[in-house]
Amino acid sequence: MRVTAQKKKETRRRIVECARKLFGDKGFEQTTTRDIAETAGIAAGTMFNYFPTKEALAMTLICEALDEAGTEFDSRLRGDETVDEALFAHVAVGLRHLAPHRNYVGEVLETALSPFAREAVCEQAQQLRVGHLETVGELIALRGPATSRVPGTMTMHLYWTLYLGVLSFWAADESPNREDTLVVLDQSMRLFAGSLSSESKNGEEDHDVVDVTRDR
Amino acid sequence: MSSTSPEIAELIDALPAEAKEPEASSSPLEDLLQRLSHKPVPTGRFNRLWVLGTLQAKIAAAYLAWWLRGGYASADKRERTLNETHLKAALKLLGGMSYLRGAIMKVGQIIATHPDVVPEQFVEVLGHLHFEAPPMHYSLLREFVRAELGADPEEVFDEFETTAFAAASLGQVHRARLKGSGQRVAVKIQYPNISRTIRADFANMMAFLTPMRLSSDWGNMKDQFKDVRHMLDLETDYEHEAENLRIARSAFTEDEGIVVPRVFPEVSTRRVLTMEYVDGLHLDKFLATEPPQELRNRFGEKIILAVFRLYYAKGLVYADPQPGNYLFMPDGRLGAIDFGCCHRQTAEDITCCRDVERTWFDSPDLLREAIVRGSDLTPKQAADETRMKLIMDWCAWIREPVDCEGPFDFSDMDYFRRGVVLYGELLRRRYTRSRPANTWFTKSAYGMRAMLVRLKARVDMAAIFRRESTYSFTRGE
Ligand SMILES: Nc1ncnc2c1ncn2[C@@H]1O[C@H](COP(=O)(O)OP(=O)(O)O)[C@@H](O)[C@H]1O
Repeated sequence: MRVTAQKKKETRRRIVECARKLFGDKGFEQTTTRDIAETAGIAAGTMFNYFPTKEALAMTLICEALDEAGTEFDSRLRGDETVDEALFAHVAVGLRHLAPHRNYVGEVLETALSPFAREAVCEQAQQLRVGHLETVGELIALRGPATSRVPGTMTMHLYWTLYLGVLSFWAADESPNREDTLVVLDQSMRLFAGSLSSESKNGEEDHDVVDVTRDR
Repeated sequence: MSSTSPEIAELIDALPAEAKEPEASSSPLEDLLQRLSHKPVPTGRFNRLWVLGTLQAKIAAAYLAWWLRGGYASADKRERTLNETHLKAALKLLGGMSYLRGAIMKVGQIIATHPDVVPEQFVEVLGHLHFEAPPMHYSLLREFVRAELGADPEEVFDEFETTAFAAASLGQVHRARLKGSGQRVAVKIQYPNISRTIRADFANMMAFLTPMRLSSDWGNMKDQFKDVRHMLDLETDYEHEAENLRIARSAFTEDEGIVVPRVFPEVSTRRVLTMEYVDGLHLDKFLATEPPQELRNRFGEKIILAVFRLYYAKGLVYADPQPGNYLFMPDGRLGAIDFGCCHRQTAEDITCCRDVERTWFDSPDLLREAIVRGSDLTPKQAADETRMKLIMDWCAWIREPVDCEGPFDFSDMDYFRRGVVLYGELLRRRYTRSRPANTWFTKSAYGMRAMLVRLKARVDMAAIFRRESTYSFTRGE
């Protein structure tokens, strides 16, 4: 029996939607690939052809959520944001869309996106990272200080570390409405934006900061 | 604006805290505080970050971790230099905003306005500090308002201005219009998590002050701290402020020309306060328009009326009648805003105050008795003639414009100078703190007079007092 491309797409969609529902109802931990296959009405073996692991399924859900977030982010930009505000909004909208997946985001992304990862753990994660950093690069190019319009790899590495820090904070944030995450995100993006301009000043002293290194 | 001698102008500007010469320090704590007070408070890009000291330290730590992990060894020379720049920035950040420093700063304003709760040297340091929430850009505000009110500001309101028009101590204030009615409103929004941070830091501050428990009046200090802590709780809760606004608003009729903004509870929470927008000038700007004497007098009358009415009819001490809390409206009305640190008197507080008022013209003995009762003085304190004389002098100073027949001229610098000296002496000797209500009352009485002095108003305070003091506040009214 030949399976048409159309049919394949439909099955894939069905699996994704079943997984979404099961992760939401039972939780990620409690859900097995077998549960998903059963609910989707396919054989476990067939399921494997579409998604080799539960994590791959979760990754798909996350990527979809972030795609929607990207669309919202683009449509909401006013154009007069400073670089730290734009970077803040980019991440904040993403977190809002990730909220339904919060209980497993950490688990899935930790390995997939780790700055320690030497090579791509999975294709989707790699794309996600590249896509995210591309947007960041664009935002900096448009709004950053003139001398750091083309951020170097070190700068991007710093950004990525901060971003993952925010993600992990958010995943465990118990504060009301997760307001602490807003603070950590705000402060992180300011810090990062600040590093862009200090970089551009080429290490020139910041007179607005108490120099504690001198006291040592 | 007519010219005032610089010396007097300075005196006035230095209100309400008294400027003192730092004395030679004698203890490690004093040394530390002295040094802190002379270290410049960082300004500019990073300075607002201290508000969130601990969180920020975490971020700086992450930064350090990144530096340690992040391929320092493999980087080439140019990159290494860059790395070092980053590291230096992180170190500065971490050190310049050290935990202790941050904690001291955060509770600074509250304690600075209660100079009687901590040793003088401490107060001196804190006197220079203020609460200052970091500014929020619109994207942060949007996420926060969405969580508080359930939708984005531009959906909840019409014409929500994305840039704040004023800073508030815990956040910022935006102009908008209400959906439907089009009513102009001021929306005061707290920086996320700031109230919890302040409370946590206050607890830390207490721990920091523990060494002082050895001092003889630790017990009293602890009570005062409890009071400050209570006030912190109230001040960080906009619902409490909203309640004060409602009470205060009900105290005035429309033709009295005193505007206390109406609150719109359906679009307010503990951290978002939406109220009627009051269109007016702050004192400085108002004075810059060189208002005629007659107008100054009328505003002066309103300031006195507002303070007296709130006190006698509603039992509210408008504890902080400082310039920022009044708006001078172009149509001659006075806007009274900021009821965050308004103090609600107990029935007993009121009785004490009344007793002093009643006995004022009676025998000195009865008056003395009333003061001893009203200040909760111990027999030993009551026997202290210096103390009694100072308190009596202070009361007399407060009474002076009330006892004057006809208009009192608040541009009389001699009157005000005497007040500055007395108030400073009261604070220095910590005589106001015997009873929490007195702290508030003293501050309010002094602050109001300071406002009137800056206005150079001539007002028949006695007449207003006679009318207003007949109101009798009963709780729950
Ligand atoms: N209802 C209002 N109408 C107009 N301006 C207001 C109103 N409320 C606050 N503001 C402006 O915001 C500033 C800070 O508000 P305030 O209530 O004093 O803040 P805080 O919480 O720091 O006490 C005021 O000085 C004033 O300029």
